[in-house]
Amino acid sequence: MSLLQTDKVSVRFGGVQALTDVDLEAEPGYITGLIGPNGAGKTTLFNVISGLQAPTNGKVFLDGRDVTRMPVHRRARLGLARTFQRLEVFGSLTVRDNVRVAVEMRRRFTRQRIDTARRTSELLALTRISHLADQRADTLATGQARLTELARALASEPRLLLLDEPGSGLDSAESEGFGDLLQQLAAEGYGVLMVEHDMELVMKVCTRIHVLDFGRMIADGSPEDIRRNPQVQAAYLGDDEEAVSEEELEGAVIGEAI
Amino acid sequence: MQTFFSFTVSGLAVGAIYAIAATGLVVTFTTSGVFNFAHGATGMLAAFTYWQLRVAWHWSAPAALIVVIALAAPLFGMGVERALIRALDPNDFATTLVVTVGLLVASIGIADTIWWRPQARVIPALYGPFAFVKVFGVRISYQELISIGLAILVAVVLRFLFFRTRMGVAMRGVVDDRPLMALNGGYPTRLNALSWAIGASLAAVAGIIQASGPNGGGLSVLDLTFLIVNAFAAAILGRLKSLPLTFVGAIAIGLLNAYVEGYVTLTGWLSNLEPVLPTLFLFAIVLIVPAARLKAGAARATASLPVPSMRRSVFSGAGFVVLAIIIVQFISSGVVIVQASEGVAVGVVGLSVVLLTGYGGQISLAQYAFMGFGAWLFGKLSPGGSIFGLIGVALVSAGLGAIVILPTLRLRGLYLALSTLAFAELSFFIFFDQQSIMGGGVLDRVPRVHLPGLKLGTNKSELVFECVVFALLAIAVLAVRRGSLGRLLMATRDSSAATATLGGNLNLTKLLLFAGSSAIAGVGGALWGGVEGTVNDTNFEFQFGLTVVLLVYIWGITSPTAALLGGLSFSLVFPQVASHLSAQYAQIGYILTGFGAVALGRNANGTIGQISGIWQDMRLQASDRWPGLAPPPSADPTLDRDLYLGGHSDNNGEVMDLVTATDR
Repeated sequence: MSLLQTDKVSVRFGGVQALTDVDLEAEPGYITGLIGPNGAGKTTLFNVISGLQAPTNGKVFLDGRDVTRMPVHRRARLGLARTFQRLEVFGSLTVRDNVRVAVEMRRRFTRQRIDTARRTSELLALTRISHLADQRADTLATGQARLTELARALASEPRLLLLDEPGSGLDSAESEGFGDLLQQLAAEGYGVLMVEHDMELVMKVCTRIHVLDFGRMIADGSPEDIRRNPQVQAAYLGDDEEAVSEEELEGAVIGEAI
Repeated sequence: MQTFFSFTVSGLAVGAIYAIAATGLVVTFTTSGVFNFAHGATGMLAAFTYWQLRVAWHWSAPAALIVVIALAAPLFGMGVERALIRALDPNDFATTLVVTVGLLVASIGIADTIWWRPQARVIPALYGPFAFVKVFGVRISYQELISIGLAILVAVVLRFLFFRTRMGVAMRGVVDDRPLMALNGGYPTRLNALSWAIGASLAAVAGIIQASGPNGGGLSVLDLTFLIVNAFAAAILGRLKSLPLTFVGAIAIGLLNAYVEGYVTLTGWLSNLEPVLPTLFLFAIVLIVPAARLKAGAARATASLPVPSMRRSVFSGAGFVVLAIIIVQFISSGVVIVQASEGVAVGVVGLSVVLLTGYGGQISLAQYAFMGFGAWLFGKLSPGGSIFGLIGVALVSAGLGAIVILPTLRLRGLYLALSTLAFAELSFFIFFDQQSIMGGGVLDRVPRVHLPGLKLGTNKSELVFECVVFALLAIAVLAVRRGSLGRLLMATRDSSAATATLGGNLNLTKLLLFAGSSAIAGVGGALWGGVEGTVNDTNFEFQFGLTVVLLVYIWGITSPTAALLGGLSFSLVFPQVASHLSAQYAQIGYILTGFGAVALGRNANGTIGQISGIWQDMRLQASDRWPGLAPPPSADPTLDRDLYLGGHSDNNGEVMDLVTATDR
């Protein structure tokens, strides 16, 4: 059984069908990509997985266990952590306290003895934001805030990390360093599921990619498969008549990210 | 059958008044996004104005009605919208609450000041008591017919307005999507003003009919102001959106009232049930409102004053007690000593507001109920005033707080505020107002705390003792804020969605927070009762509770010093100011509090934040001239003072918090 599995998840908001029968899997030790045009339902799917949105139909399994009706915080305690597309840093706390409060939550619910200060410093160093530690989080630039959210999510020592557009707001050097960090995390055994528009990053780090379009999973495979998939090309270019060359797709997809 | 018909008609008539009031509330809320806690106060002011024109100045009824309903009330509504509401962010619920409750409290003060002479003010029924028609042998007064007819008229006119006129369609557009409406050439602000005008007019109609009915009796500022809770109940059934459901709710409440009055004989503990039926209805509806969904994208950083270190808060607390001991020696007036003691006790209640709202971001309008409960319980638990009795009060209050919040754990923002308001009203009528508790003029004895080996016989030593308790609790509250629980509270307040995804149990945190805050309020009540010696139900009417919450806000909701200053303003400063003015201005405290809240509610750090901001500016300016006086640079240059919205940080990022910044 996969670390994470969704089984025919559907979400309907009034008259809008946001997700239709979505199946998705993520494995520990690998980075899984979730891509799709704006409005495809990627963030809604993240909300369903993390418990912020109840699905209209379908189930979510974590380690083979049905967590569909489980409250958000209990899923987190089972090893699920996430970051947010629209940032959710704790703005009135410093960067250090953002991470520290998460370490403390973990200490509380695991009843383990954790050296809070040391663990916090480790996480700040790992995500390379130690120099920002005493800055109030609502004063951070977007990229810095994303790294703060990542450090905070890692504080709960999750088995699966859901990252919602972690690369947006990073400059190209930061983005490269970030890709290395993700690969390092995967090598350490973390499962990562990532929504991202930066195709260069996605194609480089992901071993498997899922593609959502209008709430349906239209493709699923290796980066190579996805790049060649005509349906994916059509989804990104809005043209299902003519075949589109690989180069054109890459240009278009990267163009959208910029 | 005949009696049933008669009860039904009178129930419909009462329900019709609620329907008119509730409709006004819904129109205002849906269009502007701001829930107007002062809706009833608007109706109250209108009824008094009508009395002034009709009775005191002998105007004819039609002229007075037109001037109040079609001119004065809409102008008032538009003025309020323009001056107070337009600048508010509807998503910032706490601030909209402070401003509209401020308006409510100011209205009470204004009415008490303009119509200050104690006299019976009766509005004559529109067609006299003997104007009635007989249907199936049942007398239906013109008054009742007019109420029902007006409600139907309001329903028809609003239906026409919203669905048949350009303006109404535009208003519905604003409700659906305000920015889109503005982009398409609509005028959301103009429509907001219109909705407030309509709301005020409807409040005026409801207020005047209510006060002039056969049951009107005479005008009462508080009764009319809090009549609104009944309208809240009706509006909540329609989830503050649906006008038809609001009508259904209002009629249901009216009929429920009439049938209970007609068929049920209420005795004993339930004898006070009738006036709170709508509140019970409100409570029941709020409890079945679906849980607020955790939403991402709602994260906000709330400005907050830097928190002092343990060393500094202990030092400040000790300094405060020493200062109190010195000052007490110079006060000869016994009245001032007692009022100051009351103020410090109310300050302890204020600490519970700082913890709950300032740090926890939760809103409760029921802290005064816990205060009253604490006073009563202390007298029962330890008539001798043992310190263990005080601890017992804290524990039982904590338990009660947890039990009260349990059914409403799912609620946030407006619904939570309304459910605590309902609880406050219920506890007043069902508990405090009982003969066996402290109702009906019964005075309940409350002891002073007795410490073994210490003599606290005099009022002065009692005041010093209270200052010690306040300082200890303030240090404790600050320690909580600095510790891991405090970080968790701030995190939950800034983004509850993110906190939950990190494994934080929001409900448990909230339960602890309410329990802790109720315990502090209970202790404050016990101290307050000890100062008074005896308490009765009128000590805990809930406009007092609203006023205290506002005062803590005005001084700065995140600072224990604000709790103290709020308590002293309430019990010492306002009564002292009023005692130097003529009797007309006896309620000046309400006016000052109301206007203060309206003016300062927008600055989350309150007056203390502003004062320390000015102080910091002065230090910076002084340092330009005399570099030796420069404040030490902050550890990180980006941690600029401005980020704290007027907060003040020194080299350790700390601020003198127990004593006002100006005392430094």
